[in-house]
Amino acid sequence: MTAPVTASGAMSAGTAASRSARVDRSIARILRAGTLVSIGLLAVGVALLAIAGGSPLERTLPGLDPARIPADILALRPEGFLWLGLLATLATPLLRVAAAVVGFLGAGERRMAGLGVAVLIVITLAVVVAQRTAA
Amino acid sequence: MTVLLLLAGGGFGAGVFGSLLGLGGGILIVPLLTFGFGLDFRAAVGVSLVCVIVTSSAAAGVYLERHLANLRLGMLLEVFTASGALIGGLIAFLLPDRVLAGLFALLLVYTAATMLRRATSAGDASPSIEDPDDAAGAAQAPGPFRAALAGPGYRPVRLGAGIGGSVFAGVVSALLGVGGGIVKVPLMHLVMRVPLKVATATSNLMIGVTASASAIVYLLRDGINPLVAGPTAVGVFAGAMVGSRVAQRIDVRLLRLLFVAVLALTAVQMTLRALG
Repeated sequence: MTAPVTASGAMSAGTAASRSARVDRSIARILRAGTLVSIGLLAVGVALLAIAGGSPLERTLPGLDPARIPADILALRPEGFLWLGLLATLATPLLRVAAAVVGFLGAGERRMAGLGVAVLIVITLAVVVAQRTAA
Repeated sequence: MTVLLLLAGGGFGAGVFGSLLGLGGGILIVPLLTFGFGLDFRAAVGVSLVCVIVTSSAAAGVYLERHLANLRLGMLLEVFTASGALIGGLIAFLLPDRVLAGLFALLLVYTAATMLRRATSAGDASPSIEDPDDAAGAAQAPGPFRAALAGPGYRPVRLGAGIGGSVFAGVVSALLGVGGGIVKVPLMHLVMRVPLKVATATSNLMIGVTASASAIVYLLRDGINPLVAGPTAVGVFAGAMVGSRVAQRIDVRLLRLLFVAVLALTAVQMTLRALG
């Protein structure tokens, strides 16, 4: 049995669908841009690594130190671009979640926005736990 | 220089085949790096997670624009895949390499069996999603939240099972460096009654967040070498782009059967590694 569809109900469903499509499109743009930036940075790092020569398996790098990245990039050292590319890679899906939270809040979908916040809390927890257990 | 090219070339091959066969790169990259380049298992998993995020982000954008991925369902389940990935990422640093290799061998066997079944089956024997007498669907009233998860012609059911399975998928992803689609797609399609195409696209969307949660653990515990991850990820990305463009023109049935043999052989090698 199908419920009768009123004109206002149909309009409201149409608006919700259009809002949903807008959120999907903006998230798709973020994913595309994030991927291009990540791959671009990694590709520059790989090119500089090729110019520097030697095997990447034989070189050892200190762990991630975000404070060193700007200096490494200005000095055109491959590790600066590679670390930044890795960080951009990991950040892209998280930006997608943040954009979804904003989109859902704008559309009045508080429960869905809450799910996005829950994902970001889990990720924050991952950072805290990893830092504490790494020492 | 040669090693750099080999890493990028290996990544390219993994990207092409992964894209042609509908697999994430992880199932190929981990054996490539452990057997081909002598990396220890955890180091290979760290690099693989980075590659998996790159391919997921690239493909998820396309799926969203085509309205194939269910963003709301994905966001619900990825709370739990990310939690599983966090747990798995921590467990990975407690388990010996040999145990991880043994688990990976099991994953290879399961993947090979799944691909073999797909290659030899004539049609999709999945349950109808529109069945009005579906007991599971009828038992769950479509509240506003559940209704928000619905898509055109379907309404996900058995959310509890979906949530439990998502935690497991996250743990598998973090331990073995794979996207976890091998768990999530059957879970959404067969258990939650989501159409296969939507399940595949939604799983892909979730992979980025899932793998990021565990990759953060690997990164902060010095488990990702950027000198290896960089060339491999660039190669995988380029390979996946090429693979997605030629996929329509290639008959993948023979390729799938050949690949089953490769997976079986790799499973034997991983088992030998696990047994020491």
